[in-house]
Amino acid sequence: MAKIGVFICHCGENIGAKIDCTKLVSAMNDHPGVSVSVEYKYFCSDPGQENVKKAIREHNLTGVVVAACSPRMHEATFRKACAEAGLNPYLCEIANIREQCSWVHTDQDMATEKAIEITRSLIEKVKLNNELQPIEVPVTKRALVIGGGIAGIQAALDIANAGQEVVLVEREPSLGGHMAQLSETFPTLDCSQCIMTPRMVEAAQHPKIRLLTYSEVEQVEGFIGNFKVRIRQKSRYVDMKACTGCGDCIQKCPQKKISDEFDCNLGKRPAIYTPFAQAVPNIPVIDKEHCTFFKNGKCKVCQKVCETDAINFEMQDEFLELEIGAIVVATGFQIQNTAMYGEYGYGKYADVITGLQFERLASASGPTAGKIKRPSDGVEPETIVFIQCAGSRDPSKGVKYCSKICCMYTAKHAMLYAHKVHGGKAHVFYMDIRAAGKGYDEFTRRAIEEDEASYLRGRVSKVWKENGKLMVRGVDTLLGKPVEIAADMVVLATAITPQPDAKEFAKVVGIGCDEYGFYNEAHLKLRPVETATAGIFLAGACQSPKDIPDSVSQASACASKVIGLFSRDQLEREPVIAVNNESTCSGCWGCALACPYNAIEKKDILSRSGELIKRVAFINPGLCQGCGTCVTFCRSNSIDLAGFTEKQIFAEVMGL
Amino acid sequence: MSIQEQYRKRAAELLASGEVKIIIGYGAGSTPDRRRALFIRSADDASLLHVDAACDANLSGYLVSEGLLSDRKKVGIFLRPEGIRSVNILAAESQLDPLQIVIIGFNVENGSLAALQGSGVNDFSSLISTLKESRSTPEEQALIEKIEGMTPEERFAFWQAEFSKCIKCYACRQVCPMCYCKRCIVDNNQPQWVHTSSHTLGNFEWNLVRAFHLSGRCVECGGCDRACPVNIPLRLINRRMAQEVLDAFDHFSGMSHTQEPVLASFKKDDPETFIL
Repeated sequence: MAKIGVFICHCGENIGAKIDCTKLVSAMNDHPGVSVSVEYKYFCSDPGQENVKKAIREHNLTGVVVAACSPRMHEATFRKACAEAGLNPYLCEIANIREQCSWVHTDQDMATEKAIEITRSLIEKVKLNNELQPIEVPVTKRALVIGGGIAGIQAALDIANAGQEVVLVEREPSLGGHMAQLSETFPTLDCSQCIMTPRMVEAAQHPKIRLLTYSEVEQVEGFIGNFKVRIRQKSRYVDMKACTGCGDCIQKCPQKKISDEFDCNLGKRPAIYTPFAQAVPNIPVIDKEHCTFFKNGKCKVCQKVCETDAINFEMQDEFLELEIGAIVVATGFQIQNTAMYGEYGYGKYADVITGLQFERLASASGPTAGKIKRPSDGVEPETIVFIQCAGSRDPSKGVKYCSKICCMYTAKHAMLYAHKVHGGKAHVFYMDIRAAGKGYDEFTRRAIEEDEASYLRGRVSKVWKENGKLMVRGVDTLLGKPVEIAADMVVLATAITPQPDAKEFAKVVGIGCDEYGFYNEAHLKLRPVETATAGIFLAGACQSPKDIPDSVSQASACASKVIGLFSRDQLEREPVIAVNNESTCSGCWGCALACPYNAIEKKDILSRSGELIKRVAFINPGLCQGCGTCVTFCRSNSIDLAGFTEKQIFAEVMGL
Repeated sequence: MSIQEQYRKRAAELLASGEVKIIIGYGAGSTPDRRRALFIRSADDASLLHVDAACDANLSGYLVSEGLLSDRKKVGIFLRPEGIRSVNILAAESQLDPLQIVIIGFNVENGSLAALQGSGVNDFSSLISTLKESRSTPEEQALIEKIEGMTPEERFAFWQAEFSKCIKCYACRQVCPMCYCKRCIVDNNQPQWVHTSSHTLGNFEWNLVRAFHLSGRCVECGGCDRACPVNIPLRLINRRMAQEVLDAFDHFSGMSHTQEPVLASFKKDDPETFIL
């Protein structure tokens, strides 16, 4: 005989103001099987929980329904309270009469009627609930960090320094990411590579970090604590063990005119190359697309000059299957192609460049060795116009969001220009100056006040060439006047966008992304580094545009989440798992195919004499995540989900 | 030698040589213009086989009879192209091993019999590809267009009237080679999701469940339609569902014996128009 306790929460005014709780209580008291029904202002409070516990003991309850907020809020609270009173926690159900009722209705009578129905249906369900025990699964204490930029390196180092194994995967030939491309960094103007490369070396040398550069994650299966990851190690055509990094091959390669991606196409590189001098690992790769041997079948100069026979043109991609407990996604960003602004002339005029290209010009390791020279003829520009928001905050042509770092790096560019070219004049067209951050506003003020950058609040309408100059026409909205500036170079503060393959990669990893491809966090405010998929975390600009300090902080936050996860040998999981009825299963294995966790195996049913009678599906309770996909697929209705059985759902529906 | 004689000879050879233990074919029916399933185990009985345009049943459903294939011996079966597609689906759903099936294929084109070459499922792949590329226009095209042109309310009323005739005899289920479940969902009464009585709700539930269970699996052999004692145009529902999965997922049921079920598999480029 069911003895159900129904606890109706007012949630202050949230529920109490819209639903006649007293009426609800009396309706529930009349419902068959209900032993006790009470109301209270806040059942989630300590005294509220005590009420529930007391009622369980006094009435010897066999089930509890708390009519309150969404189960996402306090299901755990009340299940714990039930457990403390000696009732199996899975005999507690939450009737959501706040989000699904009081918050969305205005008519009190009708809302009360609906609340009665909702609560009643949960009473009918809880009558059929079974006692369930949590499942324990082992945790593989090895983290995967995807992306070897500053965020990925920081996360890897923090996890490794806590004594846990890390696999750090980077798809480019070297660690470093975008930060390695930068010249100086705001707001302190310290050299980016000088602060970056020690981290790169530390990651490469760390005994707990397995570094896989020039590698890509191709497949992720499994779940928190127990992922299976397939990684493609792209063939470098250079034996990493044999290569000493002497660089002879790079010197001798006859192909010298390949556009250098690391220098944002401002410089040239050979077909066998390392992206930059401090590359980690300092082992070149052969660019198969441009290599003379791969194109014509003749050359092999690099192989001839290599003293350690490290060059191997036969090398094939290799695949690794790794068991991983937690994943940090730190895949970074790209910049938007600004060619969509025809009026700015990017792609048409060589001296209209992006901010990232300016970084390379200003960088000591860049194509001009840190001298500001314009790309068209190598002449030092006397006037530079910087255009901010060249793509950001432009819903019509660019992106809606603010790219966050451009105000700061444009101020930095103006400063670097002033420091490197005395007498040079910088003009900055801006919409607003967004310089929130430690030392940030002071930094932009310095650019304006000390380094005499001229800031013009307004947009640029056109850039064209006239008498060897780039004519920039814009408006100074503070003076309410049009302006025309004859510049030698124009720098566009291009929008930050996700990696071009970010959306596809989200599907590979099994996480969500927004309309642009930035990865979704579980909760913007309260769970900013977790994804909705347990065990997968986000660091850096793959989530949203971020500067270095934010990326590093988020990476460390990810690391703390991973370390926390690895601090236990077993993970306790909800016992909500699918169970197959072997007598009715017809063995079509559609469920096995539909299962996103590969939790379903084939099981032979043998007769007493050992002959095969049939094969059926067997759901591995350790792997099943209780998503219910197999339940919906099964045509013969053979699969049931513990905690949400067909009978329970049916009773719940019929209770309405 | 007539085509029928050639088939009888081939069947006799298959049995005499011991290549197959049984042949599932067509024998005389209750009236001269009807055929019914015939199971022969000896070459002498091959003369009882009929092969002609009246052989319309899709016999593949007999292949999953309890115990028929468990001795690993081969079985010969007369199949039209749709039947061959059914065998592919049954193989894809692990209900049989295609290596155990010797297909004696035939087709009926414009009312006359045509022989098909081949004996294993793979021998007919190009034929099935052709069928996918040139979906035939059904006889009742006018009715289909009429139904497509209806408002949702009119369409609902149309099907309500059709389903109201249903007496829940489940002949459509019994005849369908895809309905091989040991226990059908309608026979599950704990809980009773699908009402068994033949009232509007129960009839809708049954026919909708049937339509979904057959999406991406029905080969449009027409068996259910012919079996229905009250003449509900079941083929129209199946045809519509087949068109849906073809349009949305490029899925033509029974293309091969390794084809993945359309409702249980996904590809990265599947349309996600249903996600709002």
